[in-house]
Amino acid sequence: MTPSTAPLHSRIRAYFAPVDRATSTPTLFDPAQLGGFSLDTPPAPWLDLGCIARFVRVSSTKYQPLLAGAPAIAVAQARTEVDASVSFEFDAWGKLQSALASGSQQMNLLATGPGAAPNGSGGSAAAPVSIVESGNTASALNVGPDAAAQFAPGTLIAVDTDYTGQTGYIGAGVSAAYVRSAAAIGTDIDYVRRVTLNVAVVASVNEGVLQLASPLPAGTPAAGMRISRLVGFCDREGASFFQEWSALFILEGAQGDRVLFHYPRLQPMQSSAERAEPLISSAGTAPLERVRLAAAFRALPVRDPNDSETVVCFRSYLPAPLRTI
Amino acid sequence: MQNAKDTFYLMLQQRLAALNPQRVIVLRGQLRPGVLVGENEAPTAHTPVNCFRLTWTTLSIDRTSAMPLAAMQCEIRYATDGSRPMAAMDRGRLLSAMDSELAAALARSPQSTPKLNCSATDSGSAPTPMATSIFWSQPVFAPLTATGERLERTATVDMFAFQEAGEA
Repeated sequence: MTPSTAPLHSRIRAYFAPVDRATSTPTLFDPAQLGGFSLDTPPAPWLDLGCIARFVRVSSTKYQPLLAGAPAIAVAQARTEVDASVSFEFDAWGKLQSALASGSQQMNLLATGPGAAPNGSGGSAAAPVSIVESGNTASALNVGPDAAAQFAPGTLIAVDTDYTGQTGYIGAGVSAAYVRSAAAIGTDIDYVRRVTLNVAVVASVNEGVLQLASPLPAGTPAAGMRISRLVGFCDREGASFFQEWSALFILEGAQGDRVLFHYPRLQPMQSSAERAEPLISSAGTAPLERVRLAAAFRALPVRDPNDSETVVCFRSYLPAPLRTI
Repeated sequence: MQNAKDTFYLMLQQRLAALNPQRVIVLRGQLRPGVLVGENEAPTAHTPVNCFRLTWTTLSIDRTSAMPLAAMQCEIRYATDGSRPMAAMDRGRLLSAMDSELAAALARSPQSTPKLNCSATDSGSAPTPMATSIFWSQPVFAPLTATGERLERTATVDMFAFQEAGEA
């Protein structure tokens, strides 16, 4: 056996999975069953959000001494408040990374139709494209040869249902926003596609089928879903929605050990923010800045059925093989 | 420490050979992948080109851990004179290719590999895996130096290894 040593690592990987907001059901990660998974192929429904930097966990749990005697002396302790948060910076500005770091619902900037009035989060969208209800998968969408002419390799698309007066949580696969009343949305049939996280990049177009660069997060599109082209993403300071995700952060030790931090329920605790860091050139100067997405989340509780404890985070350690413990 | 140095060399040799199998050198009459460790070869004034030459420089040992942690710096030098068919006008491209190969080999995940016990390889035995792994930093590339037509660069890498019980 080899003596155990402190984990040594160079990076932390982040994985997120949806929380079913309608039932408040998080995605639980079982480190006893899956803790050793290959970092490049996380188990479904966990989504790989890549490496993160400046990962900081903060426990704000308060401990109160129970005093007795004269002079008073601490004879016991109690936890009077449990609170934890986590903050980090994403390396990439992908859809999910920027949505998670936006602090609220993130809008897809849908390609506008002719004569659309200017609007901060995008004007009236161009007419959506219907999906032919055959031959579709999460990675291939059949739109027919005529409609396919609107798409080219590199086109960004949002795939979701029309807005027809739904209220409550909306968005295929992941609850992307909450609609309090249909009146707030009005007649925008594209609103669900405007906020959905079910987005992809067209990799190729062949005989009316859009081949996507990566599968749609919500899987094979359901009947009635349509496609809107988009040009980018937008978030807004002052928006009201709280996203909620299950999260898993993995610190891969150089000796084959692994530390896993699992937060079953995370909600953002800051609005969209960035941090600029100088990009040091080989000459030692800093002519450019790299802008990373900064995110901070508060951990919400779940009940551990093993002993009915209410907890907000699980930290697991998988030792390297043949180490003393 | 020697096992760690040998393991790093074998790791780099395998990764570079996988990236570019055509990068080979003839050394002591044998065709080998284009990586060598200077201290393991006969002293010579000749500087081989189009290959990677490893030199171990600094060493420090941290004894505050449960096992001593050795930190060693490896200088990796490489040079090219360009190719004869191109009248050496491709020397910049050839050096860039070596930059890319070295960066890719060292950045490939995982940036660690099980340490090998190479003490019995002189008698023909294969290296055997040990209990710990070596790991290393990203390379730091020094400015290019030009001597006549020859372009040369040195990259430095910090390599770390736990010193296991009974290990030389």
